[in-house]
Amino acid sequence: MFEEPDLPAAWELWVRATFLHHFVADQGQWLWPVMETLHYLGLSLLLGTVGLFDLRVLGMAKAIPPSALHKVIPIGIAGYAVNAMTGVAFFSGFPEQYFYNPSFWWKGTFMALAAINVAVFYLSPSFHEVKALPAGSDAPFRAKLIAGTSLGAWIGVLVCGRLLTFYRPPFFH
Amino acid sequence: MTPIESAFYWLEHTDLSMWVRGPSLLVFPLIVSAHTLGMGFLAGTSAGIDFRILGVAKRVPLPALQKFYPIMWAALTVNFISGTLLLIGYPWKAVTNPVFYVKLSMIALGVYLVVKIRQEVLNQPGLDDNKVKRRAKLLAWASLLAWGSAILAGRLLAYTYTWLEVGVRGGF
Repeated sequence: MFEEPDLPAAWELWVRATFLHHFVADQGQWLWPVMETLHYLGLSLLLGTVGLFDLRVLGMAKAIPPSALHKVIPIGIAGYAVNAMTGVAFFSGFPEQYFYNPSFWWKGTFMALAAINVAVFYLSPSFHEVKALPAGSDAPFRAKLIAGTSLGAWIGVLVCGRLLTFYRPPFFH
Repeated sequence: MTPIESAFYWLEHTDLSMWVRGPSLLVFPLIVSAHTLGMGFLAGTSAGIDFRILGVAKRVPLPALQKFYPIMWAALTVNFISGTLLLIGYPWKAVTNPVFYVKLSMIALGVYLVVKIRQEVLNQPGLDDNKVKRRAKLLAWASLLAWGSAILAGRLLAYTYTWLEVGVRGGF
């Protein structure tokens, strides 16, 4: 699965024919670092909003009603959107650097776990239970489980993302 | 070699420095991962507090946000240690790059503002005063700007160096 074939596969030829691929791959040296910087800003926004909400549900800063803190979540979603867009651009620029890289698939696995966890939180009664919590109260155990999974999954996404660079020669920044 | 270059050459050939630069996937990549994780929690938590001061999630009581401070101090500690290790691994690369000093200054400013915001905003009962409010928003904007610049400068370090080690030129 991580073995790159001698001739590019059909999907790779397709990616390499897109406008986005040429935009990223043929740009001068500054587009890539700028996109990386945006990617880092996006992950910070995600950790600083969703992460703080998770920590509140886990029991930190209990004087804050979770429903009040939940208002910062759109900023986290904006950070995620920036990272999804820059992420697609990274992949389009150098698709084989990602596809044949175990770290990329691990990162995807953690992203899928995070996504399922988000769906479970908002679709199960947990969201309403947490939203109804007044200041000073402790969240139910299942909500804490979801919050802990969220923190763990995003940390996993971040670490695997950072390891992408090192996992596969040639050395990429 | 100048005396300064010799000192850095010596540092680059200590066991610790060579260990950091070594080929193991468990050393350099994990130090860098810890550094990125610390960055996210430090800049992110500070930014989250800034957004509250700027008017997002107004029902969050400001004094309660002080409970998130240990997260930032833990993240800063992780990044001080991981950053020091990275500096020991590639000392000449860092000190010969002006962007490195911009990054350090922006982190110092960011940490200063984290402390200042606690003193002047979160730990401040008289926040209804318009003057205090204006000052609080100024501090919050400055904090967002400091962290954004620190992250930009940090990322650019990988693209702006001229020396990899003493006597070994980088690709820029």
